[in-house]
Amino acid sequence: MSDSGSDGGKWLDAHYDPVAGLYTFSSCMDLADLSGDGESRLVVGDLGSGSSGMKLKVYRGTALMSESILLDLPAGLVAFFMDLHEPRIPAVAVASGPCIYVYKNLRPYFKFTLPGLEVNMLEQDVWQQVREGQIDPLTLKEMLESIRKQADVPLSVRSLRFLSLDGSDMDEFVQLHKQQPIRRQTVITCIGTLKKSTADEDGVSCLVIGTESSDVYILDPEAFIILSKMSLPAAPTSMDVTGQFDVEFRITVSCRNGNIYILRRESDKPKYCIELSSHPVGLVRVGKNVVVGCTDESLQGFTQKGKKLWRTVLSAPIITMAAMNLPTRGFQAVLVGLANCEVQLYRDKNLLSTIKTPDVVTSICFGRYGREDGTLIMTTKGGGLMVKILKRTAEFDDRDSTPGPPLAQSVRLNVPKKTKLYVDQTLRERENGLAMHRAFQMDLSHLRLAAAKAYVKALESSLTPMSSSLTEPLKMNAVVQGLGPSFKLTLNVQNTAACRPVMNLAISFLYDESLYRMRSPYMRIPLLVPGLIYPFETFVECTSDKGISDIIKVFILHEGKSSPLLTAHINMPVSEGMTLN
Amino acid sequence: MGLLDKLSGWLGLRKKEVNVLCLGLDNSGKTTIINQLKPANHSNHLGPLSEEWKHVSQTQAQEIVPTIGFNIEKFKSSSLSFTVFDMSGQSRYRNLWEHYYKESHAIIFVIDSGDKLRMVVAKEELDTLLNHQDIRSRKIPVLFFANKMDLRDAMSSVKVSQMLCLENIRDKPWHICASNAIKGEGLQQGLDWLQEQIAQSTENNEHMNE
Ligand SMILES: Nc1nc2c(ncn2[C@@H]2O[C@H](COP(=O)(O)OP(=O)(O)OP(=O)(O)O)[C@@H](O)[C@H]2O)c(=O)[nH]1
Ligand SMILES: [Mg+2]
Repeated sequence: MSDSGSDGGKWLDAHYDPVAGLYTFSSCMDLADLSGDGESRLVVGDLGSGSSGMKLKVYRGTALMSESILLDLPAGLVAFFMDLHEPRIPAVAVASGPCIYVYKNLRPYFKFTLPGLEVNMLEQDVWQQVREGQIDPLTLKEMLESIRKQADVPLSVRSLRFLSLDGSDMDEFVQLHKQQPIRRQTVITCIGTLKKSTADEDGVSCLVIGTESSDVYILDPEAFIILSKMSLPAAPTSMDVTGQFDVEFRITVSCRNGNIYILRRESDKPKYCIELSSHPVGLVRVGKNVVVGCTDESLQGFTQKGKKLWRTVLSAPIITMAAMNLPTRGFQAVLVGLANCEVQLYRDKNLLSTIKTPDVVTSICFGRYGREDGTLIMTTKGGGLMVKILKRTAEFDDRDSTPGPPLAQSVRLNVPKKTKLYVDQTLRERENGLAMHRAFQMDLSHLRLAAAKAYVKALESSLTPMSSSLTEPLKMNAVVQGLGPSFKLTLNVQNTAACRPVMNLAISFLYDESLYRMRSPYMRIPLLVPGLIYPFETFVECTSDKGISDIIKVFILHEGKSSPLLTAHINMPVSEGMTLN
Repeated sequence: MGLLDKLSGWLGLRKKEVNVLCLGLDNSGKTTIINQLKPANHSNHLGPLSEEWKHVSQTQAQEIVPTIGFNIEKFKSSSLSFTVFDMSGQSRYRNLWEHYYKESHAIIFVIDSGDKLRMVVAKEELDTLLNHQDIRSRKIPVLFFANKMDLRDAMSSVKVSQMLCLENIRDKPWHICASNAIKGEGLQQGLDWLQEQIAQSTENNEHMNE
């Protein structure tokens, strides 16, 4: 009875029986005051081993109160008020196969069977012939197989069973079944309830059933006649029903084709369709919205008209889902059982709390159990039963857990008041916007023109350290080393042509001879192989002791041409060696 | 306390007034217990009802409806004059409880021994009560009734005290009695213990005051 850490101590562990032997799904569990004493019981359709041991079980508190055998696997179970008799005790409807078994006071009360489906005429003829002894089982098999391939009306279960038999068993099967007429039955895939005419808590409810034949039926609770039949494009797997049959209702059905359809009172065809990118696992209505859990480990919210609101990604595949409604506190959320032994609680796309469980939870049911309104009942894969009670003081804070804009973004900055100057400037800009823009554009054009002119001039007079000449493309940079008065001047010259060597070049310097003396003011350059960097070194002596410096101009010249190929201006540093002496 | 009051107290002329807070989850039997202790049920001081009066008490018990908010009942024992606050145990009224902690001299905490499922809820409420600032530091006596002991699946008072971890209460006098409020069984025993505790604590207080 300890508070487990991650759920923030919101739940009290009321009961856990890991070996309760309860194997079921959320669709086969309901809570109802079956004795009219104000204490809700848990009614469960137990699937047993899946082939045997199916039972209808009723729990009171921590104890199993009663159990009775179910003849077939339950597909769904609901408690509902079928009449207005006092005391107000609900009946229990168990859907299995093509039938609904209704229990009152936990005793079998009524059995409803869905109407049969249309039988294939050819199939009927073939069996007729078998009955008259005209064809043997082998021929029957052949004929049925060909019917199965072509027919638009599917074969009956009997024929399908026959087709799956081995030769030796066929004779016996035919003898056993040939006298009975062929019938084709659909089976119920899901069941729900729909209030007849009042929204009262204990108002009479119709049963709503979805079938393998892609139909939805609404049954009158007293006479058990079909009040309404609607068709879907695919077989339904689970549904949610809201509203009242006589007024307005809405049936949200998830189908085996991966779509969700919304049926309304006026029409026998779906009114809206939600196409999902992966198959729905669970469907829960929260207020006016629908929350769908999908096989791609996502939870998605839709409006009742099918408009997508949000999507959130979960940490593990979804096993089961259930609604958590606490009307006394006005609280609505969705419980999601995951394959990683967690049950997570979501309000919209926000994770409110996580419950860790010792085993994978396969079914969830939340509501009033016993005398406690906020009870969470879960059964596990291993057949365990777990009951948790929401603490009276528990609060779920609706923090947006998904990464989004940081909190600081919504903090208002303390922006200073607008000054008079600012206001005047704004006014001026607003009034003279056009003129200002023109003036700016004109200046910009002038600037561009001046820049272009200077560039052209520089190119024409080869003032740049890059030669633009096509025959002698050259690049040069200069490095000055030393503190003075002696400096070492290194010129790195590179022929940037792809493959053509350059010949007959020379380097010449222009400088103030009263300031500098150069060892070799003129140098010949050897043949320049493309790509290689050729360093040319020379020494410069500063002859002045006044601590001044000047520019030395470097020219690369081509024999026989008067204008240089390249010009570089070297800013000589101040000679510091002199002052040291 | 004036000298006159003390005198009359010693002489038993004026009974000492004590406020008792009756707490517990809804449907645990608080109102039923208090009804049994009220003077209208003359038999209550005589222990269990005699056979011929049984039907009377039972019809009374059947009239009991869930308490809304709280009820105040007064009754006297040989030495004390009780004012009992019978609080509603429904979860939406449980936040009223704490407003009466300060004024109360004793607490009766009633548990439905048949409600195994909600034992955790009873424990949670008890823990909240014992940790409340108005209770935590006081040596206030707490009487537990493990009520509805007549039910077939009722837990024993030992089991109830185990599930509530009563052994952890070290700084307050406490006592647990199995009871059947409908027949009145076990109630007097509990009340006797409570009177004794109250008498003791007032003695102590007077010593301290002197
Ligand atoms: N079998 C049995 N039933 C009891 C016992 N004591 C009380 N009850 C029944 O339990 C039900 C609830 O009793 P109340 O006295 O109304 O309970 P409460 O604690 O006052 O409930 P709230 O006022 O809602 O907090 C009634 O139906 C009583 O008859 C008992 O000892 N045994
Ligand atoms: Mg009461």
